[in-house]
Amino acid sequence: MKKVTYFPGCSAHGTSEEFDQTVKMVMKTLDVEMEEIPDWNCCGATSAHTMNESLAYALPLRNLVLAEKLSNDTMTIPCASCYQRLKVTKVHMDENPELAKKINTAVVGEGEYQGKVAVKSMLQYCYEDVGLEAIKAKVTNPISGMKLACYYGCLLTRPKAITQFDSPEYPMSMDNIIEALGAKATPFDFKTECCGASFSISDTEVVLQLSGKILEMAKESGAHGIVVACPLCQSNLDMRQPDIEKKFKVKYDLPVFYLTQLMALAFGFPKEKMMFAKHIVPVDGALAHIGEVIEEPKKPAKAKKAVQAESEVE
Amino acid sequence: MARVGVFVCFCGANIADFVDVPTVVEEAKKIREVKFAIDYKYMCSDPGQQMIRDAIVQHRLTSIVVAACSPRMHEKTFRKALSDAGMNPYLLEVANIREHSSWVHQKDKKAATDKAGDLVRMAVAKSIANEQLHEISVPVTKRALVIGGGIAGIQAALDIADARIPVTLVERSPSIGGRMAQLDETFPTLDCSQCILTPKMVDVASHPYIELIPYSEVIELDGFVGNYKAKIRKKASYVNFKSCTGCGACWQKCPVKVPNEYNMGIDKRKAIYTPFPQAVPNKPVIDAEHCTYLLKGKCGICAKVCEKGSIDYTMQDEIIEREIGAVVVATGYGMWDAKPYEEYGVGRYKDIINSLEFERMVSSNGPTGGVPMRPSDGKIPKTVVFIKCVGSRDKAKGIEFCSKICCMYTAKHAILLHHKVHDSRAYIFYMDIRAAGKGYEEFVNRAQVETGAVYLRGRVSKIYQKGDKLMVRGEDAQIGQEVEVEADLVVLATAVIPDKGNPALARLLGISYDKYGYLSEAHPKLRPVETAKAGIFLAGCTQAPKDIPETVAQASACAAKVCGLFAGDTMKKDPMVSTVSREFCSGCQNCVKVCPYQAIVTEDIPLGHGSKEMRTVAKINEGVCQGCGSCVAICRSMAINLAGFTDPQIINEIVAI
Amino acid sequence: MITLSYQGKNTFLEAVNKKSGADVLECYQCGKCVSTCPVSNFMDFPPREIMQMIKLGLKEETQMANSMWFCLTCSACSGRCPREIDIPAVMEAVRHIAIEENYHSDNKQVKNIRKFHEIFLDMIKRYGRNYELRMMAEFNIRTRNLFKDMHLAPKALLKGKIPLGVKSMKSAKAIRKMYEMADKLEKQNK
Repeated sequence: MKKVTYFPGCSAHGTSEEFDQTVKMVMKTLDVEMEEIPDWNCCGATSAHTMNESLAYALPLRNLVLAEKLSNDTMTIPCASCYQRLKVTKVHMDENPELAKKINTAVVGEGEYQGKVAVKSMLQYCYEDVGLEAIKAKVTNPISGMKLACYYGCLLTRPKAITQFDSPEYPMSMDNIIEALGAKATPFDFKTECCGASFSISDTEVVLQLSGKILEMAKESGAHGIVVACPLCQSNLDMRQPDIEKKFKVKYDLPVFYLTQLMALAFGFPKEKMMFAKHIVPVDGALAHIGEVIEEPKKPAKAKKAVQAESEVE
Repeated sequence: MARVGVFVCFCGANIADFVDVPTVVEEAKKIREVKFAIDYKYMCSDPGQQMIRDAIVQHRLTSIVVAACSPRMHEKTFRKALSDAGMNPYLLEVANIREHSSWVHQKDKKAATDKAGDLVRMAVAKSIANEQLHEISVPVTKRALVIGGGIAGIQAALDIADARIPVTLVERSPSIGGRMAQLDETFPTLDCSQCILTPKMVDVASHPYIELIPYSEVIELDGFVGNYKAKIRKKASYVNFKSCTGCGACWQKCPVKVPNEYNMGIDKRKAIYTPFPQAVPNKPVIDAEHCTYLLKGKCGICAKVCEKGSIDYTMQDEIIEREIGAVVVATGYGMWDAKPYEEYGVGRYKDIINSLEFERMVSSNGPTGGVPMRPSDGKIPKTVVFIKCVGSRDKAKGIEFCSKICCMYTAKHAILLHHKVHDSRAYIFYMDIRAAGKGYEEFVNRAQVETGAVYLRGRVSKIYQKGDKLMVRGEDAQIGQEVEVEADLVVLATAVIPDKGNPALARLLGISYDKYGYLSEAHPKLRPVETAKAGIFLAGCTQAPKDIPETVAQASACAAKVCGLFAGDTMKKDPMVSTVSREFCSGCQNCVKVCPYQAIVTEDIPLGHGSKEMRTVAKINEGVCQGCGSCVAICRSMAINLAGFTDPQIINEIVAI
Repeated sequence: MITLSYQGKNTFLEAVNKKSGADVLECYQCGKCVSTCPVSNFMDFPPREIMQMIKLGLKEETQMANSMWFCLTCSACSGRCPREIDIPAVMEAVRHIAIEENYHSDNKQVKNIRKFHEIFLDMIKRYGRNYELRMMAEFNIRTRNLFKDMHLAPKALLKGKIPLGVKSMKSAKAIRKMYEMADKLEKQNK
């Protein structure tokens, strides 16, 4: 039994409740006990670092200090935005103890920051600490037949100096997990393009443009749906999809799944538990592909044979 | 009583701005033995030298101290001034008050001046103990070794051999020709690369003064300038070149196919092969890593079809030793692997190739018969995007320097594309167009005007696939707009990097290399073809990226250097070498072990005068000794002395401060 | 026409470099950032031009641009910058200088973006956590665009996408204290 500290983030109790719920289900199945930080606060993303540098550090720092009071050596965060703010703060504080001391004065009455808890995104934790083999071992209802475009967004793997995880341009960790569940990850070039999340409310036009391009390329890759590991990505791509379709006069019909929803599904949890009803774009069409046989293009197989023949003795 | 003259140089502002030169002169005058001290703006100039010559005569000086720049710069100049005045040149001492003081203490003039004073005091003290020394003569082996048979090595070998100096040319692959043999046409005149290269290759093969050893590598180099000993490993070719006629029956019948290096892996060659039709020597070799017979003992088809019985599977690698006097290193370049450019999808998209691959495609003897084709589906591309500076000028993912040749060959590629596919269009993403060279700017204009190549100023940020097109996204800063080009084929002008074997080769030759693996020249401006090790020279891209004309010029320069070195029967050498005082030598032989030049041997001498019993002492070969002083430091009985750096000289220096 | 006159020192460049920890002088204008940036189309000066403007010391023009307000801090540019410049940090530095020195753009989008951030931070100050529905409502009221996204509301609410209430935290007081301290630290930094 592994133990890990859990920072759910504001959206876990709001827009991304289904993420929070499925994370909990999945972790339990994977024998990971999650301990929520008591009385955590908002990380401040993205407004704090836009407006006020000290506050941008202080808000996450309080959570880091609280996390150190628990006995776990790692903390995991489902929301990519929260993850980014906490990780940036951790890296900068660890690099610059003087700055840490200064910012610590704004975290009143919670004690000194020591830098002893590792900060990992939910994706990173699943990939590095749990591992593909352990995930594979729990799959009872493989979701084979589904073709999925894995969308990482900007914050899970970037900037590399901060995240120290996977590739900032063409990451594969989520693709590998999806394939461990039996699905097929499509070659998707817009994996790490920004969806414009932080303008979701303040400048919707930006979001429609950016998210629109991502949806277009996901469709182009032949995917039945998109997989994300970030509530902001999910809400932008899902909630704004009808607007995008209307604006660009197209039909995408691409449901946007949380990684953990699909994991839970493959682990045998009933569909009702995934809270799919909360999705704006219906998921049933995509889920109907489960069990289908994906036909591989035949040409390469033939070519391979020919090459083999060549290298043999005639 | 010693009479020392001190000459302090301003070096224009180089020294005078940070060191108070008149004060240094005044300080020098306070030394008892200094009978004359003066400063001058440029001591190395003719009037400066004349001051030294005059003072030597007028003041009957017995040793000279020049306080100026590093002795690496002008020690020779001043020694000559001493000789001209009838004085032994080794009575000169140089106090380096520029590199050692003014340049490194620019923020503190007082400290710099004090230090300059100290350096002068030390030099004066040392010079008092200086002795008259005389140059040493060393015999020279008049044979040059050229490593690498590309255009640089070929040119150097031909020029040296034309001076009737024997050359051994060592080439790693089965044929000489190098990268130039892979090129289709050359900028800025578009003459056919093969047509101008192959005559030179044939000349190499037939030249009476050139010994060509293909399919081989240098594995050891001992000795010193004029007297090197090289060991060369000649890889087994499994083909008897003497009887082989090069008829080609063997490689036509050989059933094993291997990616063809000459065509950048685009097509296949056989396990027994000549790299290309014009290969020199035009004899096949068996690639032992892929030959079924050599690996498994089966097949043997080539031996069966060879009418001359030239195939010999039992052939072994051969070690060849040569005594040589000088080495020219010309190991050439390779293409940087663009894998770190994940944003371009390098490795994921087949239709992204590098420039050398494109070059092979447009070559008439290339794998696609001279027509560019998309690797993914064999279609002829209509829209081709060329991206320059991939890996070059990129300290984040690649290398910091400019690869120099890409601007020109990309313009050439645009023209060649137009020649081969008339209804095509080239889009070229560039940051700057660097076309400095005779006819180069005109050539770029030709690409733009005649072929309509579109130049877009900006670095490409992303490439992604859409349908069967590659979408290439970048900014065209000229219009301040983002642009996306729908490309059929993308050609990356990746950085030019030195041969991967350079660091290992540099270590075995005892020369230095930079962080990229380029071999280092002795001086970036004034000694661009020499290395810091006497008798070893550099030609072509092994030293830095350069184009063909520059490479040829540098190769010829190497030849001139080699010829100069071999001009007399002996070579003059500085007398700063170690000598052993036999009476003190205990024969412990520690010096033999520490000498990095193998200059020390032992000899047996009678124990006493007329005695029959013998004892062993060290003996130093002054021709080999480089005067490093390691033996002096290790000698417990203080039996070794290094001329020019004797104990009294060093002690004087120390006492002076 | 911009007249360039050398004043001995480019204080704007120095301030940006110091605040960001980056070196703007490293920029060689390749434009890779521009075509990487997902929002450069919306900026009146894309990142490459902002870099040059800072180099030229054009403080007014830079501070009145909307660019730094559009920067999403997605770090795509810095990940690809061949000169290893932390471009988002530069944008952030310019933005912070604009706030400290009271530069206010008339651009409506910039005003909206600033308003959004102010409301958000206000919300955190009050509750310690984000209260999404109230956030959206308040933004619409304060930007006088009452019906923005209203078409989404019924569906989102009905589906439970956006909850009606917020679980506020216990130590909301500590957060208010944190705001005070952070403001003090910011003033010290100036």
